Amino acid sequence: MNWSAALPLFVLASSLLPGLVIFFLPEERVATRSSLNLAGAVLKLVLAGVMVWGIFHGSHFETRLPLLPGLDLLLRADSLSMLFVVLSSILWLVTTVYAIGYLEGSPNRSRFFGFFSLCVTATVGVALAGNLITFLLFYELLTLATYPLIVHRGTEVARRAGRTYLIYTVAGGTLLLIGTVWLYTLAGTLEFTPRGFLSTLDGASSTALVIIFVLLIAGLGVKAALIPLHGWLPQAMVAPAPVSALLHAVAVVKAGAFGIVRVVYDVYGIQFSATLGVTLPLAIVAAATIIYGSMRALFQDDLKRRLAFSTISQVAYIVLGIAIVGPIAAVGGLVHLVHQGVMKITLFFCAGNLAETLGIHKISEMNGVGRRMPWTMAAFTIAAFGMIGAPPLAGFISKWYLGLGALDAGQGWVIFILAGSSLLNAGYFLPILYAAWFKTPADAWPAERAFGRRETAWALLAPPLVTAFLTLAVGLLASAPFSPLQWARFITTLEYAE
Amino acid sequence: MLALDIPWGVMAIILPLAGAMSCFLWPRCALPLGLVTALAIVICVAGLGWQLLEQGAQRYAVGGWGAPLGIDLYADGLTLLMLMMTAVVGLGISIYSCGYFNQDRARHFWPLWMFLWAALNALFLSADIFNLYVTLELLGLAAVALVALAGGADALTGAMRYLLVSLLGSLCYLLGVALLYHSFGSVDIATLAERVESSPAVWAAMGLMITGLLLKTALFPLHFWLPSAHASAPAPVSALLSALVVKASFYILLRLWLEIFPFAGAALAQLLGLLGAAAVLWGGLQALRQTRLKMLIAYSTVAQLGYLFLAFPLASITGWTGALYVLLSHAAAKTAMFMAAGNILYFGGHDRIVDLDRVVQHLPLTITAFALAGISIMGLPPSGGFIAKWLLLEAAIRSGQWWWGIALILGGLLSAAWVFKVVGYAFTRSEVPHEARAVPAAMEWTALLMAVVAILLGLFVPWLLALMEIGLPFGGEGSAG
Amino acid sequence: MNTVLSASLLILTPLLPLLLAFPALRSRLPRPCYIALLPALILLALPQGASIDLPWLLLGSGLGIDGGVGRWLLAISVLLWMVAAHLLHPAKGESADDRVTSYYLLTLAGNLGAVLATDLVGFFTFSTLMGYGFYTLLVAGEDDGSRRAARTYLIVLIVADLMLFEAVLIAAATAGNLHFEAVRLVMGQSASPGLYLLMVLVGFALKAGVWPLHFWLLPLFRTTRPAVALLLGGIPIAVALLGFVRWLPLGEISLPALGLIIQGMGVAAMLYAILAGVRQAQLKILPAYIAIFATGVFTAAMGAGLSNPAAWNRYADFAYLLIASLGLGVALLVVGIGWLRARSYPPALPEKQAGDSALWFEHWLGAAARWAAQMGVETLPRLRAVWLVKAGALWQCYAWQRALDSGERFLQRWACAVTLFLLLGILVVFI
Repeated sequence: MNWSAALPLFVLASSLLPGLVIFFLPEERVATRSSLNLAGAVLKLVLAGVMVWGIFHGSHFETRLPLLPGLDLLLRADSLSMLFVVLSSILWLVTTVYAIGYLEGSPNRSRFFGFFSLCVTATVGVALAGNLITFLLFYELLTLATYPLIVHRGTEVARRAGRTYLIYTVAGGTLLLIGTVWLYTLAGTLEFTPRGFLSTLDGASSTALVIIFVLLIAGLGVKAALIPLHGWLPQAMVAPAPVSALLHAVAVVKAGAFGIVRVVYDVYGIQFSATLGVTLPLAIVAAATIIYGSMRALFQDDLKRRLAFSTISQVAYIVLGIAIVGPIAAVGGLVHLVHQGVMKITLFFCAGNLAETLGIHKISEMNGVGRRMPWTMAAFTIAAFGMIGAPPLAGFISKWYLGLGALDAGQGWVIFILAGSSLLNAGYFLPILYAAWFKTPADAWPAERAFGRRETAWALLAPPLVTAFLTLAVGLLASAPFSPLQWARFITTLEYAE
Repeated sequence: MLALDIPWGVMAIILPLAGAMSCFLWPRCALPLGLVTALAIVICVAGLGWQLLEQGAQRYAVGGWGAPLGIDLYADGLTLLMLMMTAVVGLGISIYSCGYFNQDRARHFWPLWMFLWAALNALFLSADIFNLYVTLELLGLAAVALVALAGGADALTGAMRYLLVSLLGSLCYLLGVALLYHSFGSVDIATLAERVESSPAVWAAMGLMITGLLLKTALFPLHFWLPSAHASAPAPVSALLSALVVKASFYILLRLWLEIFPFAGAALAQLLGLLGAAAVLWGGLQALRQTRLKMLIAYSTVAQLGYLFLAFPLASITGWTGALYVLLSHAAAKTAMFMAAGNILYFGGHDRIVDLDRVVQHLPLTITAFALAGISIMGLPPSGGFIAKWLLLEAAIRSGQWWWGIALILGGLLSAAWVFKVVGYAFTRSEVPHEARAVPAAMEWTALLMAVVAILLGLFVPWLLALMEIGLPFGGEGSAG
Repeated sequence: MNTVLSASLLILTPLLPLLLAFPALRSRLPRPCYIALLPALILLALPQGASIDLPWLLLGSGLGIDGGVGRWLLAISVLLWMVAAHLLHPAKGESADDRVTSYYLLTLAGNLGAVLATDLVGFFTFSTLMGYGFYTLLVAGEDDGSRRAARTYLIVLIVADLMLFEAVLIAAATAGNLHFEAVRLVMGQSASPGLYLLMVLVGFALKAGVWPLHFWLLPLFRTTRPAVALLLGGIPIAVALLGFVRWLPLGEISLPALGLIIQGMGVAAMLYAILAGVRQAQLKILPAYIAIFATGVFTAAMGAGLSNPAAWNRYADFAYLLIASLGLGVALLVVGIGWLRARSYPPALPEKQAGDSALWFEHWLGAAARWAAQMGVETLPRLRAVWLVKAGALWQCYAWQRALDSGERFLQRWACAVTLFLLLGILVVFI
């Protein structure tokens, strides 16, 4: 096994091994645990960088281990997977710093960080999976690794949320399994191929393929929180803030969306999907999710719950971008994979800061909080405007390409969905900002903790600032080389090339 | 090569017998003797595996007498896998028992356990149906004695019932053997396979044998004896009953079905499949209803045994491989689960599910073992259970009988429901502390290792499949793909 | 050398105020509001025009200033900002509200950037920044009435931005290149410019408060303090009018019917402004009517330009002058009136608002949302909840439990077991 074949394994191991070691660390060895975590995160980032550099220069990274006769455990770094790997690596590093600050002094930290690392391992595995069975494997692993994080607090609410999460995801995983096996019996291979491997298949009835498509998308849609499969997500926000951040930005929700991209592009192939006539229903479901999620978010008073519904709406953008059959919309969907992650993680970090520093959980308690915590709220503001789609922030670029792609593909109705969604986004984010900056603060915060001169601990403050800066940077420098946008364009040229 | 000439298969029977004798004779040294024997058996099985890989399927004529008269032993890939499973699980149980039994119990446990191991190995290696009967009977008796080892009314009732079932099953089987011997004048499987033809006597023999074996395998609705017996036994005994003993009778059924009764119609296969599916669902539902952990695990065994029978209507190599994989991964996973339950019982003195939260938080390794084993049982990747489910599902869809797939999927969901019901308690905070007895590290670690084996089974599939194809036990082209 | 200087000045003009908007970066600087204007002043002092392409920025953007009218616009803007800075920061040494300085600088950056932008996206970006920034200026530390007015402005802003966003999308889909000149050329020759024109016209008309979309303008003038009100004419309205000139394919396209309608609306706006302005007793709102009048003039001119491209090409520069002078005029009025009022009246008490501070469309939106909640938004979760509860109840259902239990007990009985066993044997034999 040479260097290029081992690299994907190393990327996985860089979080798996620290995670396994951390499980056995005693609770009080904070320094060892933190440094292990950070070392793993940095190492993963470096390795991911090496792989991006390699791919850009034409190298191939592929690990192939036999799993079943005719089916391999295949880890492969292609341009699409690298988009997701780099995103997870960066955000994992940031979230690790945040989590170390957030959980300071709370019980069961070894367990928490162990599963945290496993969760990222599974996410990166999902990203690197080179065929559907490997994908399935890591996808289920993700379910299992996330469950302990959701129920981490151990309260009755958390337990119920965990149960709901399991009911949804295990059922979804089952559908995915059925679809995968069926597909395998029809096609005889499961390996992701650019532009799909099913279009050349003759003899398979298109009805069966459509049913399989529905099964796969339903299985993946549970994690991507497409309606009506989204019920677990708002409940899962009882998890600690770093978990919510990771859950909404990278790990679970994105794994579902990423899977849908994979199925549509590399299993069915976009042209073949369009021929089967499955893309329009998918687009309609995504559009319904966008509007529905925003509508529900409008009525939530719990900050994290509002953000959760906002995630439901925003992740559907990715699916929408894929389902509008056209290269430009695809760029929008793919780039939103990154942009939504960066923005949403900022929002959750800020929500966590408010909860941890001042004990604020509800929007009605946020009056005037901008004066008490200006940096946190500045980060929140940037991310919220990004979500609304205000230029020049990240969300603008995504919406821009989605809208342009919809026009390009002759699906003008999407424009109205985007406009409506922007309006609703403004409707549920701007009141928060207004309350935070312009209303007079209440006499006392619900549960304030003092942090000396700073508004809060640095480990809590730095991550949202970094991600808020990223939100600005990826939008402002969208046309610079190696920006997410350019990478998404690069991927799309592969899918839509001749 | 000298090592290749050693009849490893025969050694695998003689060694545990010798171990049983010596444990019986020197009860004080039972523990070290038993452990040494266990290790030796593992080496023997490894040797046999090497031999089979080098030379293909093996046939030993014990004492130099040939097939019609003497006792023949036969080893192919299927045998080898069963022996390996027994060896690994047996080693785990041996280590676990070091901590579990006190001196007094250990004196009884070790000879019986070694005896049972010998019977199992002999059963898997037997090449004629009468030998199979003898080993089956020995196995049953040893198992009943082990169940009774726990003492107490529950255990004795369970043991008694188990004894009667065991005798009834063996009796039926013996009648079938007699009929076949009467018709064809041989008990050697290979000979019978050549001579057998459809006739009323054969059908009657088949009916008797299959029914007897189903009773011993505890296929729904004949599972009535299993939960009480398995739940009331001491933890290591529960583990070996669930993991190994019920599999032995299934192994006989499989051998007979493949070699002697290939003419058995599709209708019979469908009936077995139907019973299997019913077992999967019934066992799963009953498991969900239980309030005691060990009962729950026992009912899950009923469900898992149902999976094995789903392969009969599918009747393809993929299907058989899948069933075999269920068998292997279930053995490892269920051992781990019973061990974990044993730890919990040892620690807290009870296994009421609603009060588990007080216990499991102090036993992180144990609950990890339980969770990992649960992953395999419910068939989530990466685990042996997942591979099994995949293969069975693939076979079901390929053969166009997708309805068996539904039973498979529903069974998985039911298992997931009860596994998470238990695992969820690991994360709730309990107010009431528990006065507890420290659990020896060996017991916790063994449980964990067995669970890890169940997980690893999902990652080293090609090797195991290569082993399984030695001697082509399932016939066909030799490829399971 | 000169190009490097002018390029860096071009970038610094919007960038410096943006940077200074962070309190930490300006804490040591005296009078940051004036310092932020320095690059723009130097830029004005340079004799010739300049431009710079920034292909890495956003979707490929640029900044530039021409030698003629654009310079005038910038000059007027800078002047207005300086006056506003003076008014916001009384020289008496009392410390100004730090947050207001940030808002001021943000709005300033947006405004200067919008004037300098050379393409649709850049213009859109900066004008959005300016819009939200201006909203914060309106809302900061003011009374209830002005907040209410500001809220109206915000809604107008969001809706207008959405429309303009769609317009940019259409332009991008048609033209590919988003520089003003390219868009003007392509949209002028486009076969179906209707939607684009409509979006641009309505979007900017909303932002400029062109009659009959002026409803947000009057309350704003009524309630805000002079320092902000003087910016109203020169900043949001002027930039919106500038948007008309830059975005519409004026001089390239000939649409007599549309031009006539727009001309008519412009005339109607002038009439309205005169009539309503004369009847208006409150001196403070007078600038609003002047602004409406001026936008009416501009609209009429634009309508003429749409129906007669040649005329537009000849007189286009006057449009810029009109925009520039509009800002200046409104500002002068506001300052003058403020001065007059300060001399003649004691400071007016904040006006009492009618009890309910919600706006009419907020009532309407709320009603719609409640209706939606009843009809659809709540149905799905409720259905799902009902379903889950039903499933749970089914599982807890006594009959079920009893069936399972008794089934198992039945199977556990010996007699039954043996019977089953025999039955199975017979079945197997005869199958």
